[in-house]
Amino acid sequence: MIQVENLTKVYGATAAVRGVDFTVAKGEVVGLLGPNGAGKSTTMRILAGALGATSGRALVGGVDVFQDPRGVKRILGYLPEVPPLYTDMTVREYLRFAARVKRAADPRAAVERVIGRVGLQKVAHRLIDNLSKGYRQRVGIAQALVHEPQVLLLDEPTSGLDPAQRVEIRELVRELSAGETTVVLSTHVLPEVEAVCDRAVIVHDGRVVAQDTVEAFAAVGRTVTLRVARPGDALPSRLLAIPGVVGVEPTGPGAWRIAADRDVREQVARAAVDDGLLELAAHRALEDVYLRLTRGEGEP
Amino acid sequence: MSVLHIAMREARAIFTTPVGWLVLCGWLLVTGIFWVASVGMYVAESQNVVFNPYGAALLNLQDHLVMPFYGNTTVVLVFVVPAVSMRLFSEEFKQRTMELLLTSPVSTLEIVLGKYLGALAFVLVALACTLHFPLTLEYWGEPDLGAIAGGYLALFSMSAALLAVGLLASSFTSNQIVALVVAFAASLALYVGGWLADGPDHWIARLGLLSHLEDMLRGAVRLSDLVYFAGIVGVSLFATWQRLESFRWR
Repeated sequence: MIQVENLTKVYGATAAVRGVDFTVAKGEVVGLLGPNGAGKSTTMRILAGALGATSGRALVGGVDVFQDPRGVKRILGYLPEVPPLYTDMTVREYLRFAARVKRAADPRAAVERVIGRVGLQKVAHRLIDNLSKGYRQRVGIAQALVHEPQVLLLDEPTSGLDPAQRVEIRELVRELSAGETTVVLSTHVLPEVEAVCDRAVIVHDGRVVAQDTVEAFAAVGRTVTLRVARPGDALPSRLLAIPGVVGVEPTGPGAWRIAADRDVREQVARAAVDDGLLELAAHRALEDVYLRLTRGEGEP
Repeated sequence: MSVLHIAMREARAIFTTPVGWLVLCGWLLVTGIFWVASVGMYVAESQNVVFNPYGAALLNLQDHLVMPFYGNTTVVLVFVVPAVSMRLFSEEFKQRTMELLLTSPVSTLEIVLGKYLGALAFVLVALACTLHFPLTLEYWGEPDLGAIAGGYLALFSMSAALLAVGLLASSFTSNQIVALVVAFAASLALYVGGWLADGPDHWIARLGLLSHLEDMLRGAVRLSDLVYFAGIVGVSLFATWQRLESFRWR
């Protein structure tokens, strides 16, 4: 549904996005993950047609974003980082305007449908200016959904929301993907990706540094840190001999980091118990990969 | 269709913010003062010519009331129109609402036209609010309707031109005050620029607004004058369009 090939965006002397490649299948929920300034928002803005790219190609629903931007915009809904709300309008008036400029088939019906879907019934007649942050975010999502797009781009949809509101938005995203809507959402909240996404694309410094299914990323026990009281000389080789272990790397006196392709906690514990096992910790691979790939060089 | 939706939202937005109403009040106050002063002057002049049959023949409503009134009122537009145009794009940039339009299946040209026509609708309402002046004149006397129509054509042409200039100014900044000051300075320069010329037919004079308003205020519509105003509107809207297009490529 979405195909991004070697996408590059250069602002003056700084490159915000440098050669991003990824694809998203129909009905899939993909999380764009990365620190602030990694290029997530820029990538989304390019896909949404709000920004041109310096080079590269982007297809949405088989339509080239640069050749036929209008065609793409018809099938795409976009929630920017700051919801684009006209605060001097009521929720219903605003959504009607959005439905009209986005060419929803039956604007009035589309607005009532989306109000129900996003849970805005109680505030539909109120001025957007007077709404809380959570409701504003929902109005922003409603605006992106009103023309029933096939592809939905959500830039940090849960930022600044309380936990209950976050859960609601996650549920909405799951519902949408069940209904064949393709969703790309950006975030820097890892549990969120694990909760709603099928796949994660980690972006850092304008490049895709890792991408995989969330199951693969979220598998527990693939990276294990170990600390023992009396490390014997044979311990590293014993650890390496465990089936599935692919690497053992010392991180300090009596401490190792063990990488494996499956959950090896039990075997590691058994191998280390005679050396005075003090600590055995399993890491979520996603967090691990994320921190390893992005640590220490967040904001450019 | 999209142009119409954007224009309607724009006109609505002007009326739902205090700025729109304040501008309208200011406009009516100042045009009201001008009207009362013009009528007062006309009355004084007619008293002067009561015993002068030659003078009385020369005194008429169009030359001594209608024309001076609309001519003076054009200067009010220099202040009023930039106040209407300042928010057109600046506010969209500030509130980050431009993204909604830019990611909707609407071309940038449609956005520009929609904004322009929406604001123009407000200006038309403002002009319509002054219609009671000529209506009272029609009730009490026999004014030349051509001069009145010419007066409104002059006000409208000038508003349309200044609005396009103001729209362009607001497409360069997210700060409404900056948009206001730039639009005001440009409008005033266009208005008084002709004063630099050596004579009324000098090319510099033809660049200014005033030389193109004179004949209209007399009730004579000349194609060259209409082309002049349409030219300002066209060039400004085109520049605004290109300015928005450049956004995508910066």
